Amino acid sequence: MKTFPRGTRMAGTVLGALALSVGLTACGGDSLEDKDSGKAGEKDKKGSLVVGAAKFTESKVLAELYAQLLSDAGYSTSIKTVENREIYAPALEKGQIDVMPEYAATLAEFLNAKENGPKAPEEKPVASSDADDTVAALRKLAKPRGLKVLPHGEAVDQNAFAVSERYAKKHNLKTLSDLGKSKLKVRIAAGDECEVRPFCAPGLKASYGIDVAGIDPKGVGTPQSKKAVQDGTDQLVLTTTTDATLDNYDLVLLEDDKKLQNADNVVPVVNAKDAGSAEIADVLGKLTDTLTTDDLMELNRKVDAERVKEADAAKEYLESKGLLKK
Amino acid sequence: MSEPNCLVANDWVCGEYLRTRSQELTDATVQHLGITAVSVVIGLLIAFPLALFARRHRAFAGAVLGLTTVLYAVPSLAMFSLLLPVFGLSAALVVTGLVLYSLTILVRNILAGLEAVPEDAREAARGMGYGSWRLLWEVELPLSLPALFAGVRIATVATVAMTTVGAIVDYGGLGGLIMSGLQTDFKAQVLAASVLCVLLAVTADLLLLGLQRWLTPWTRIRTRRAAPTPGRAAAELPAESDATSDATSDAKPEAAGAI
Repeated sequence: MKTFPRGTRMAGTVLGALALSVGLTACGGDSLEDKDSGKAGEKDKKGSLVVGAAKFTESKVLAELYAQLLSDAGYSTSIKTVENREIYAPALEKGQIDVMPEYAATLAEFLNAKENGPKAPEEKPVASSDADDTVAALRKLAKPRGLKVLPHGEAVDQNAFAVSERYAKKHNLKTLSDLGKSKLKVRIAAGDECEVRPFCAPGLKASYGIDVAGIDPKGVGTPQSKKAVQDGTDQLVLTTTTDATLDNYDLVLLEDDKKLQNADNVVPVVNAKDAGSAEIADVLGKLTDTLTTDDLMELNRKVDAERVKEADAAKEYLESKGLLKK
Repeated sequence: MSEPNCLVANDWVCGEYLRTRSQELTDATVQHLGITAVSVVIGLLIAFPLALFARRHRAFAGAVLGLTTVLYAVPSLAMFSLLLPVFGLSAALVVTGLVLYSLTILVRNILAGLEAVPEDAREAARGMGYGSWRLLWEVELPLSLPALFAGVRIATVATVAMTTVGAIVDYGGLGGLIMSGLQTDFKAQVLAASVLCVLLAVTADLLLLGLQRWLTPWTRIRTRRAAPTPGRAAAELPAESDATSDATSDAKPEAAGAI
């Protein structure tokens, strides 16, 4: 008699736990299907596409731009944000991600390393400062992996050097060539690797004749590096072309007039099987033709400084350019 | 658009953030809760038979405990990366990783709980003609509940924390918000998501404690349910209560050692 209620209680709990687990697993399964597959059905809705994003603001904004345009064109889209290229590249090849905003030179060298060994990017680089050549090289590497590289545009997120506004005015500097001609001694705020990388100190010396006095290892585009140049401790800072915070530190970019930097133009890369259609290329092509480096910088600034949501910033941009109806 | 002041100022506490991102926070919390719950429940469903089997076969016990401990030592980032080729980008990847981690704690605690059941109680039950299933169900399992729950509570809190690492494949619940907040120096987001994460862990722990107390009324002096014959029940209970508190105190250091 005494054990009866306790037994029932145990049984009830175990049954409850089982029911809960079955229920939750079922839920998990459903949401998985929503996000990942479902490509087969719904022909009238043109099927669904997964747009990938890497975990940094610019990539997330680009993914939003792509997704909103594609869903406007009748596809049902979702965005998957993952840590880095090592994780999303295989997913893109397998088709778990269908569309990915990429950077031509970086992806080309990433695939070069995968194809020809980890030393290939240093010894036999395929990317160059020429965007067309770089994209052509990228296409050659991407095709056997089932990836289709869509046409690139003008927007580019590549390494760039900045000086303080005051310094630029005083010595009348607009380009890196100007800096070379001025014969000024400069200390560069950058990462340690600047010492050996061809696009950094060695390139600045060889291509521009810049007198590099030393490297201040404060990191690439970190607040500390920028502060050091603003204060005059260092003269040149290594950052990127879409850095939205330069104004806050009174910095200006010097033009890379001899094309030292690799062409990291923004380029949509798609899984050829799932998203290789001409229509998708057409939809994304409109954005690629419109987007500029300054637009990208402005979008970054909106998200990182004003804390506008990526989706809202993207929507506002697309509407202002007439790519999306209000 | 209105001027979201504390967002631009990047304050740690920002009402505007909570107002504008309530949907993101809710979605992330629900996902976090789902992944944690599924992981612990599946972990329990696997750990229980493993513990029973380990108790019967001594040689197997060493292997199981050793293997689960080795699994626990794998860093979570590495674990998810290793499972990536098998599962691809899916919630199953994160759940599998978390289940493997929870096994260490759960198997050890269930085993400890079962072993702490006093031999007298077992003998008495056998003497009353209990078969091995009925013995397990009506004597051993109830008596090992405190140790089992200690394990479930630790596993749950640990899983709530570890779910955040799932953010590398976009199934990290609140972890996704914490990581992207850290990356863009978004203080309000980091704080809000972290606080929610801690609240989730504390709430889950308290709920489990409540469930445990409800399931083991004999460990309390006063039972909430009106027993048909309170006098008799009370007279018989202290013996059991001693046994179970032994089980808990035996189990806890083990569980702590497992972490």
